Amino acid sequence: MTTHNHDTPNPYHKSDRDDAANKAIEERVDKIESLLLEKGLVSQDALEKLADIYENDLGPMNGAKVVARAWVDDEFKKRLLDDATSAIAELGYGGLQGEHVVVKENTPEVHNVVVCTLCSCYPWPILGLPPNWYKSFAYRSKVVIEPREVLAEFGTSLADDVEVRVWDSSAEIRYLVLPERPEGTGNFSEEELAAIVKRDDMIGVTTVTVP
Amino acid sequence: MSKDRVAKPEIAEMPGPAALPRKSGEMVFHNDWERKSFALAVCLSEQGLFEWHEFQNELITAIKEAEGDDPHNPSRGYFESWLVSLESLLEKKLT
Repeated sequence: MTTHNHDTPNPYHKSDRDDAANKAIEERVDKIESLLLEKGLVSQDALEKLADIYENDLGPMNGAKVVARAWVDDEFKKRLLDDATSAIAELGYGGLQGEHVVVKENTPEVHNVVVCTLCSCYPWPILGLPPNWYKSFAYRSKVVIEPREVLAEFGTSLADDVEVRVWDSSAEIRYLVLPERPEGTGNFSEEELAAIVKRDDMIGVTTVTVP
Repeated sequence: MSKDRVAKPEIAEMPGPAALPRKSGEMVFHNDWERKSFALAVCLSEQGLFEWHEFQNELITAIKEAEGDDPHNPSRGYFESWLVSLESLLEKKLT
């Protein structure tokens, strides 16, 4: 499990706190809370709601814009396949905490699918929160052994001669699939292209379709 | 894809050392008080008691202070620094 420890310097850090230490901190927090409730600056209701909002926040979901740019700009696409972390940063999407993004391109010969077999590593800053099925044991175990069957469950059928490659993410490497640009999108603008790319296309369980 | 977000990106996506603790995108709270401290700061900024960047600056300072010479072994956890920042900012704003 060592590669799955998120022990980059700060973000996920918790000090070694025992019950007594937590109790002492709790009292500090309660003191602030009562003071602010008394002053009418916060309400219990608002506090509860705000924590919920941020816990359930879907995140930035910038992946579709990355894909659309790669479809219209060959130079960008080259950089993306070569060093995705830097190419994505070019578009101003940061927040990757010591994680490298690797982009795998779908072609008529090769179809890529992403999984995290050990937990649920996922390129959050570009795809937002992972869907529940991505974290499920069923998906994590089955996609490695029977990828075509899993794809079929998502309604994706590939020709028999297409090779399916499954990429296992880790704390250090997050994979993202660059889907094939669908036919009939020749006159689409970059924005229009971004609008047809769905999250699941970039995990690789579906392919991009024109609605 | 373009579902409206209620969470503010300036808070949800703070970069660098102040970035919210997340595991594959999901926020990580170890204790109830961490969750409560988070909500208190966000709530006060929504109320206009301070601008978010003011809090963010306090937080960065507190985190750096906790890191000292060894960023991998800070003297306190992320939300402990968060709480220190909140206390310090309230001291300035409410007195």
